[in-house]
Amino acid sequence: MVLAADIAQLFDVAGDNGQGDYVIRAVDVKKIYRTGDVETHALRGATLDIKRGEYLSIMGPSGSGKTTFFNMIGGLSKPTSGKVYIDQVDIAQLDPYELAWLRCRKVGYIFQAFNLIQVMSCLENITLPMAFAGVNSEDARDKAMEILKLVGLEERALHKPAEMSGGQQQRVAVARALANSPAIILADEPTANLDLHTGEEIIDLFNQLKEELGVTIITATHDLKMLKTSDRIVWIEDGLIKKVSTADELDIQVYEVH
Amino acid sequence: METIGKQVRLPINTAFQIAMQGIKIRLGRAVVTISGVVLGIAFLMSILTGNLITRAVAKEQEFQQKLKVMNDAVTSSVGTLQGKQVGIAILGNTNDAMQQRVEQAFLRKIAGDVASSSGAEKTVVHAYHLGSTGITIPGSTEVTDLATLGQGCDLVILLGDDKNCVTPYADLTRGMKQLAVLDTQTARTFAGKATSNTERDLFFGEAADEQRLQAMETAKSNAARTHWIVLISLLVTVIGIANALLMSVTERFKEIGTMKCLGALSGFIRQLFLIESLFIGLVGSLLGIIIGILFPAIAYTISYGMLSSNLGYGATLVFSAFDYQLVIFSLECLGAGCLLSVIAAIYPATIAARMIPAMALRSNV
Repeated sequence: MVLAADIAQLFDVAGDNGQGDYVIRAVDVKKIYRTGDVETHALRGATLDIKRGEYLSIMGPSGSGKTTFFNMIGGLSKPTSGKVYIDQVDIAQLDPYELAWLRCRKVGYIFQAFNLIQVMSCLENITLPMAFAGVNSEDARDKAMEILKLVGLEERALHKPAEMSGGQQQRVAVARALANSPAIILADEPTANLDLHTGEEIIDLFNQLKEELGVTIITATHDLKMLKTSDRIVWIEDGLIKKVSTADELDIQVYEVH
Repeated sequence: METIGKQVRLPINTAFQIAMQGIKIRLGRAVVTISGVVLGIAFLMSILTGNLITRAVAKEQEFQQKLKVMNDAVTSSVGTLQGKQVGIAILGNTNDAMQQRVEQAFLRKIAGDVASSSGAEKTVVHAYHLGSTGITIPGSTEVTDLATLGQGCDLVILLGDDKNCVTPYADLTRGMKQLAVLDTQTARTFAGKATSNTERDLFFGEAADEQRLQAMETAKSNAARTHWIVLISLLVTVIGIANALLMSVTERFKEIGTMKCLGALSGFIRQLFLIESLFIGLVGSLLGIIIGILFPAIAYTISYGMLSSNLGYGATLVFSAFDYQLVIFSLECLGAGCLLSVIAAIYPATIAARMIPAMALRSNV
């Protein structure tokens, strides 16, 4: 899967503000859910800086606040207190229209269950976020075909998701996430529903995106292979970030299956 | 860093496409929901159509009955008109459309009797016109003086609205041997001014008035009950649509959440479900209107056909009732169906629009 040079141009992410710039900053983020009289403290003051162009994995046991933190930095929820800056913009200040704009253009989402619209073809799935961004349909189709070539599925453009395997669907989902040339890709357990081999393909794809397009990739995952290729691994427990380390620091042994 | 923009896109073509394909995929449920609309609208339309038919038929029956009464009165008065001398005074135009129709048919029959009689049995008709009425009786002699009209006549017939008649009735009745008054208003007025010269007075229309009043009363109470039943059936239809849509919304929480992650505005999500509901309402209304017209038409054709032992007659009776009013009723039902479907969609569409994007990450509702 070779990346076209012109696609890289659409992702002029590293061009401005230089390297080492922080694309996401979470400062003492707290989140409290209230149901009736019961208060649940999902996050108790998480602080994290995410560099532009890095590949970050978030780990944590269930109930640790991992999903909540994931939602925060992805612009899916607002913190109860503390600040989240996405591209130096405090998301708590944004109104629903601006938040929608952010989700449309700045962040690309990838889900564990692929979440493709079953009634639309692959091409239409990819052009949908472009329609929300106001791209005219001709340009949208052209760009969508380019991105499909990127993920190696251009001959499946008119097929519906039901006619494709899990790995292919996830690749379409990745293509959809790239539709509006976002700065950030947010992936929630992207390989959890895939077998080993297809999971590896997705991980390779992510690496390519990171290397050649300079996209920041943030995943929530338990997949050891993904952890191994990450730049940094964040461990959340009990609503706080307990540890941030690099892949080398952790002793990850993964046995290859042939 | 580029400044954050405002998302304003509501690509309605996309919304339409997603809504239609959604219906295609859940076709079974769409069919069930549409059936609900068909039933409700067909019920409403069948009542409107039924009323249209019965009203037209009632008018036709009223016409036939009035005509029969007039003809019977003449026959019981002088027997057959052949060889008799008849005086007809047309005292003005009646404003009642039904009365006009009856009088014209009656006069046509008289003209027919005149034409068919011959020789010694010839019927002689003297006609007096007050003003112009446009109705001529072929073979009749025009009389210009009302006082001379009745002389030598076996029967004098007065037609026309009392209000238009200027001549006092006393003048008319002088010298008349028999008199048939064939208009309600005129009959009442004449009853007040009858003189002793008249040997027999026949008054028409009062009994019919009684009947008509009573019929109106029963119709009113029936109408109130019918309105109530129709209202309830339409309410049930609305509930049916809302229920189906709510199911659809809860099922599609992931899809809705995902679309919001892709940048869909709440308004777009709301549009999706409103379009789906409107489509169901439209198709259901159209089918309901067709069924609502066909069923009463067939039913009444059969029942009237059986009464007169002639199905063809029943059919003509029913289809003569269908005029522009039917088109208006159809459009009203179409509007009602679409309006109700939009109302039904408001609650489910709002729930869908308010869903948070994080729903896309959940595995259950």
